[in-house]
Amino acid sequence: MASEPPPGPSERDPDAPVFDGPPLSLEEELAAARAEPEPGPSIDMVNESLADGVNRCPKCGSTDVRQRASTGQLICLFCRHEWQESRVEEEFGLGVGIDELEGTVIAGGAEEISSDDDVITMTCTGCGADVVVDTAHAMNARCHWCRHTLNVNQRTPNGAVPDAVLPFRLTHAEAVEKIREFASKRRLFAHPRFKKEFVPENVLGVYLPYLVIDARAEASYAGVGEVQTRRWTEKSGDNTTTYYAADVYRVDRSVAFTVDDLTVEGAADRANFDGSTTNNIVNTVLPFDTKNAVKWNSSYLVGFTSEKRDLDVVELEPVLEDQLLSIGRSQVEGSLSQFDRGVRWEGEKVDVGGSRWVSMYLPVWLYSYYQENTKMLHYIAVNARTGETMGSVPVSQPRLIFAALTVGTFLEGIAGWILVASA
Amino acid sequence: MIADIVVMASEGVPAWILAAGPAGGAATYWALYRYYRNTDKSHAYERDTLITAQPVSGSQEKVDHISRTRDSDIDGDNSSNYRQRVRRMG
Repeated sequence: MASEPPPGPSERDPDAPVFDGPPLSLEEELAAARAEPEPGPSIDMVNESLADGVNRCPKCGSTDVRQRASTGQLICLFCRHEWQESRVEEEFGLGVGIDELEGTVIAGGAEEISSDDDVITMTCTGCGADVVVDTAHAMNARCHWCRHTLNVNQRTPNGAVPDAVLPFRLTHAEAVEKIREFASKRRLFAHPRFKKEFVPENVLGVYLPYLVIDARAEASYAGVGEVQTRRWTEKSGDNTTTYYAADVYRVDRSVAFTVDDLTVEGAADRANFDGSTTNNIVNTVLPFDTKNAVKWNSSYLVGFTSEKRDLDVVELEPVLEDQLLSIGRSQVEGSLSQFDRGVRWEGEKVDVGGSRWVSMYLPVWLYSYYQENTKMLHYIAVNARTGETMGSVPVSQPRLIFAALTVGTFLEGIAGWILVASA
Repeated sequence: MIADIVVMASEGVPAWILAAGPAGGAATYWALYRYYRNTDKSHAYERDTLITAQPVSGSQEKVDHISRTRDSDIDGDNSSNYRQRVRRMG
C-alpha cells in the first residue's frame, strides 16, 4: 500500500537531511534497539455482511439456515434456497505475494487471545430474549422463545471466531462407512470391549481450529559427509571382513523457499504429540484443501460442534520454525547424492523472512473411544474434505502376545531344524 | 548345548540363526501394534505442502580421510530424518 506523503511545507528540498530532534543518548539508542518490534500489518477478514444475531436467508428471511453437506453450500431449510460465502483465497489475496512477505502478518481471527471467557450472551434480534452461547463448543444457539437460530459472527476476544471456515463435504453416512471400513480391517487383535461397544454412528462432526501459514524462509545446514573411495575384503581363517576407505567432507547447504498453507494445530490439547495421547491421529488426516475455505459465517457450524483456538501466533512460531527446518532438510537432500556414505547434519538455522497467519476451522469427523484400563482416549478421524481416515484401535494385549509367541516359536523351530540338518 | 551350537556354527550355519525366533516374535508384536494403534503416523508436511524452492546452494571441502573402517556408512546419518533437530547455529 502506498504511504501518505508526510505533512509539511511542500517546498522543502527532498535531498536535504531531515532534522528529527537532537541526537539520542547512548542509553536511549540501546533501549530503542532492544525494543520489541512494531506489530506487523494485519489482514481484517471480518465478514461485514453479517452481525451477531440472526443470519437470514437472502431470499425468504428465515433463520433456519445450515450447511448442506452434499453440496457444501448453505441452505435455507424453509425455502430451500442455496448460496455460499466467497473463498478467502481470492477475496483476501492469500495465495499471492508469499515471496514478498515481510515480518509477521496476522489476520484478524488469529490475533492474540485476550479473554478466556467462553460464554457470550446475545440478544435475540427476533424477540429480544437473552440467549447464552458457550463458544468453546458451539457458535450457534436456538432462541428458546422464538426458535430463531442465533449466530456468533463478530470477532470475539477469546479466539473462538476464526477468519475462515472450510465447510464439511463428507456426509455423516460416508464418515460412518469410512470408520467402519477402517475398524473392520483391525478386528482380530482389537480389544474385545472396543469391538463390543463399537458404534460408528456415534461419530461427531467437529470443526477444529488450525492456523494456516504462508511463509518465506531461508534454511542453512552444516554437517559432515563421507564419500567412499575404496572397498575391499580381507580373509582371516574362514571369515571374510569387508573394509572401507572414505573421504570426509565438511558440507554446507542452504535453500530459500516459500510454503503455501502450512497447517498447524491451534488448540493446545491437540498440539501435544507425546505418546500419552492419540493426537497424532487427528494430525495425520491433514492436509485439507484450505484453498477452498470461505469467509466466516457461523451458519456453516449449525449441527456441528467446534473447538476454539487457544494458542497464539507467538506460541506457534517455534512450531513453524521447526517445520520449516524439516522442509528445508527435505529440499537439500537431493543435493547430497555424491555422499554415498551419508551425511550427518550437525548445525541448522532458519531465517523466516515473512509469514502470514490465518485462523481457520477445518472439518473432521471424529469417533472417540475411551479405554478405561489404560485411561487413553482413542480416535478414529476422517478428514471431512478428502476422506483420509486414520485411527487408533485399542489392542488386546493377550492376543497380540499370543500371536507374537506363535510366530516366534514357528521361526525358532525352522532355525533349529536348519541347524540340525546342516550338522 | 552351547558347545553343540558352537560346533554346528563352525560347520556352516551361524549360531545367530537361533535369534530368529525372539526377533520374529518381537517384530510381529510391533508390526501388529503399529497397524492397530498407528503411533508412528503424522502429517507429512514436507511432502504434502505447496513448496516453491530456489536452487540449493552450498559447498563442500575435504577435511579428512578414513583409510580403513568396517562401517559401511557414516555415523549418525540424519540426512533423511528431516525431523531430527540438531544444534541451532547462531
